Amino acid sequence: MRIGILSFAHLHAEGYVQNLRRISGVEVIGFSDTDPERGRRISQSFGLRWFWTHEGLLAEAPDAVIVTSENAHHREHVAMAAAAGADVLCEKPVAATVADALAMQEAVERSGVRFMTAFPMRFSPAVQALRDMVRSGELGRVLAVVGVNHSENPKRHRAWFAQKALAGGGATLDHTVHLADLYRWIFETEVGEVAAEVANPFDPEVNVDTAGLLLLRLENGIPASIDASWSRPNHYPRWGHVKMEVVGERGTAILDAFAGHLHVWRKGAGRDYEWLGYHSDPAQGMMEAFVRSVRDQSEPPVTWRDGFEAMRVALAAYRAAEAGVPVDPRSLV
Amino acid sequence: MKIGIVGTGTMGRVHAAAYRRMGAEFVGAYDRNPEKLAAFVGAYTVDPFKSFEELLMRVDVVDVTAPTYAHEELAVRAFEAGKDVILEKPLALTPDSGRRILEAARESGRRLFVAMVVRFFPQYRKAAELVHAGELGRVGVVRLKRVLFPPGPGWYRDPEKSGGMPVDLMIHDLDYARWLLGDPVRVFARKSPPVEGEVLEHVQALLSFPDGRMALVEGGWAYPAGYFRTALDIAGDRGLVEWSSDQPPPLATLFPAGEPAPEVGLPMAGLEEDPYELELRHALEALERGKPFDVAPEDALAALELALAVRESAASGRPVEVAS
Repeated sequence: MRIGILSFAHLHAEGYVQNLRRISGVEVIGFSDTDPERGRRISQSFGLRWFWTHEGLLAEAPDAVIVTSENAHHREHVAMAAAAGADVLCEKPVAATVADALAMQEAVERSGVRFMTAFPMRFSPAVQALRDMVRSGELGRVLAVVGVNHSENPKRHRAWFAQKALAGGGATLDHTVHLADLYRWIFETEVGEVAAEVANPFDPEVNVDTAGLLLLRLENGIPASIDASWSRPNHYPRWGHVKMEVVGERGTAILDAFAGHLHVWRKGAGRDYEWLGYHSDPAQGMMEAFVRSVRDQSEPPVTWRDGFEAMRVALAAYRAAEAGVPVDPRSLV
Repeated sequence: MKIGIVGTGTMGRVHAAAYRRMGAEFVGAYDRNPEKLAAFVGAYTVDPFKSFEELLMRVDVVDVTAPTYAHEELAVRAFEAGKDVILEKPLALTPDSGRRILEAARESGRRLFVAMVVRFFPQYRKAAELVHAGELGRVGVVRLKRVLFPPGPGWYRDPEKSGGMPVDLMIHDLDYARWLLGDPVRVFARKSPPVEGEVLEHVQALLSFPDGRMALVEGGWAYPAGYFRTALDIAGDRGLVEWSSDQPPPLATLFPAGEPAPEVGLPMAGLEEDPYELELRHALEALERGKPFDVAPEDALAALELALAVRESAASGRPVEVAS
């Protein structure tokens, strides 16, 4: 199977290449990137063929592509890949507007290619164990959920994350989608209502929000919160956290998906003090699932709809913060 | 490769469950105790073998999870029957017994994997990778901890059968210390005063390596029922690594307290990947592809000798020189 990487704008692309290279029968045919400095650097450090244009990569007729461009370019790039007949794994958020996301769905359906949204946390064994625990009824009726996906400001890795024109939003759009997707997947319900505070308390140099706190009501009545802030300082020992506490009538489950780490102090490393994870990368399982669906021509385990609904929760947070009243994400059309 | 398990106690169950999850060709088991065997084969839906001879006829790989005192006889007979052997740690009760197992493997041309599982715990592996890659500079002081509650009634409590706490438990971290620093030159150990009628025992061993490097290895059957704590602390001149089982696990639960403690505790909480599965997967893959094992039989023998040196020093109160 021949897979191409459509843009290295998103920093996850680097990990995805490693994930793909661990899967037998997969050939990473190269990557396209229109940024010459990044193209040269990635080409050298990963030993990958570099295409100056996305058309050049797609002309090689890859079986599938990973779209890891800036959020605002997903629509155009997914449409190009679909027209070229390549199955797509698209980085989250699938888009920054409802219109873009719907246009992507249309392009995908017209060409008949498969589309998977990159939600790696569904493939974390700890998250899967939590889901099993909830669904088996072990915790009893779920009473409340507290979720945290806060991080450092990603702009020091890639500037566009904090540029409104390319990212479409800041912390709230970047991080809400992970937990919103896990809530939909674990509790098998839609998000009914979103109340939120969205602001930029941390970085006056950027034109996007750097903090977002969401208070949701899931459709089945469960109250659930999401902390989507870029509230960790740059010298924090790791990029951030994915945490969730599920309070049930019979028991409580406490998830800290990246808890498995060594404490490491090193000279000359990126961080003087670092939490170095020792568990397998959830993105590996995600990539294997994507490759399997391309190979078997089966429905990917995470769909466009999943990506769309999670995005609508984030967009509802912006709307709710602005209006000062709760917003139903499904009212955004 | 058809796998048969001999010995259906705690470790037999752990290995059987791992084979099941891996989808390995685990076909049957033998145990001298027919009731234990019946319960075991029922739980894992495999064949009960009427004798060890029948097991040897039916499988390609013999997984010996019988008590330590039975290791030599079972492993040697498996090699004589031309089988590869996966052998639960510790290798044997004495170096001579261990050497006879290694010799039987050599003579048969078959392979011996001693299941030193700590090398397959992801955190211990990651820390060793940092050390071996020179990320910490020159390692000067290593601290390793492994303390749990005493074993319940059974052969573990009898040092004649299990080797006692240093040989059964501390051997994990003694092996890990060797993996990081190589062979020590001297061992000095202190143990807790005896407690009448109990197997409570806590041992701290100071390992001296060439060039002034050192390690403090702590092991114990000493905690209240249900507790099991492990930790590593590796300090170099350019970096430091800490980890402790006190750290929160990826998934914890709060339920009403009062669950009964298991017979022998296993440090499973907090792990996403089962190290026993990683270990057995490695062993089977190495056997299938003719690749070297991450733990050589000679490592298992050296770890046993080190554990016996710790036991001897703890008993005599004097340092023991370790022959390299």
